[in-house]
Amino acid sequence: MIRELVTRFGRDNIGFLWIMVEPLLFAGLVGLVWAYARGPENHGIGVMAFVASGYIPLTFLRHSFGRSAKIFQANISLLYHRQVKVLDFIFVRVTIEAIGAMMAYIFAGIVLHFLGYFPIPADIGSLVAGWAIYVFFVLAICTMLAPLSEISSVIEKLVPVSVYISIPFSGVFNMASWLPPSLREALMWSPLVSGMELMRYGLFGDAVTPYYDLFKALGISLICLLFGLILCRRVRRTLAVA
Amino acid sequence: MIHCRDLHKSYRSGSVNKPVLKGVDFTINPRDRVGLLGRNGAGKSTLIRLIGGVEMPTSGKITRQMTCSWPLGFNGGFQGSLTGYDNARFIARIYDKSYVEMRDFVEEFTELGSQLRMPVKIYSSGMRARLAFALSLAIEFECYLIDEVIMVGDKNFQNKCKAEFFEKRQDRALLLASHSLGTVKQYCNRAIVLHEGVATMYEDVNEAISIYEDL
Repeated sequence: MIRELVTRFGRDNIGFLWIMVEPLLFAGLVGLVWAYARGPENHGIGVMAFVASGYIPLTFLRHSFGRSAKIFQANISLLYHRQVKVLDFIFVRVTIEAIGAMMAYIFAGIVLHFLGYFPIPADIGSLVAGWAIYVFFVLAICTMLAPLSEISSVIEKLVPVSVYISIPFSGVFNMASWLPPSLREALMWSPLVSGMELMRYGLFGDAVTPYYDLFKALGISLICLLFGLILCRRVRRTLAVA
Repeated sequence: MIHCRDLHKSYRSGSVNKPVLKGVDFTINPRDRVGLLGRNGAGKSTLIRLIGGVEMPTSGKITRQMTCSWPLGFNGGFQGSLTGYDNARFIARIYDKSYVEMRDFVEEFTELGSQLRMPVKIYSSGMRARLAFALSLAIEFECYLIDEVIMVGDKNFQNKCKAEFFEKRQDRALLLASHSLGTVKQYCNRAIVLHEGVATMYEDVNEAISIYEDL
């Protein structure tokens, strides 16, 4: 059924490819600016590759959070069919965003590789694992955001802000190993950082020293998911479908 | 059979909590044609949405032992930005029906022709009603929940609905919310009067109608 809904959204906006182009543009431009501002190499790794590998997952996060606000209201007419559950909406949105971001990632990687700015991933396993943690945590947060935005419109307004707040905690623009140990310790509580560090390690190999804590990352994601599922269930009971 | 046991439903808007249903009990048997009468805002549509599983009761329990359509009404059940065909495809998929059969039936029943290629949001209410009926008839539910819509159709559509519901599908159950007493009198064998959050089932439709008229 998720696949069915995906085709529906695919049909909705004619250019499904836009989902891929937008993060690409962002990552490309930000990467260029950084490369000019700081020189092409920083801490021994290519700036372009570093920014692209950080920015694309961040776009995924931003879109997923942004779209999960009021997601129930946006799809309310589908709830007329008992087979359609509110969780489907969230899973579908996050899945679409994740697929788009990964496509952008692969595409950017290939293009930049031919231009000589992007390494061949050193460890595909870590790269995929990093993505998996990242996506899982974003999904968990979305299951919380979606019902919360339904309960209170304040939360809906706060969603864009929360995305900006999350940027320093998402390891987009720096590696944990560049930071002082005490700060690094604190950042380990963010599954985003763990995911990003793993991704970076998968990409650059031994050129970077990754710091990650799988146990904390998965634990926090699971707790968020649990809260999210409970909230979804509660909100569904009071949702007015008019 | 559909059993409703002590259904309560209240809506909250800010600090105001408005109870709409205050303990509704009844049973719909197979082949029952139940009319649902009540004044504006009495909770007819709410009750239908609860039975259709679109909304959840605040308390109480609904058990469905037959397949039940989604509430057929002016809106809902459609994705407005999609065309009639796309909606048919979607509904065929989620209810596990063959799309080709669904499409043929919808084309024949709605007579909308090339309008089916346009987004549903630009349809008139009559056109929407045609599409909603065509889709739900193609799926063959055991119980149909109808909220007002039969009355918006033109003569030709009403005749078609009559033929499909009351002649070809006499074995199905029906819950019909309506202000058209003529329709209820003509088609229903039982009727529910909804007043002040309480539903009363009458085995005699005429009795129900006279009580409704005195409200």
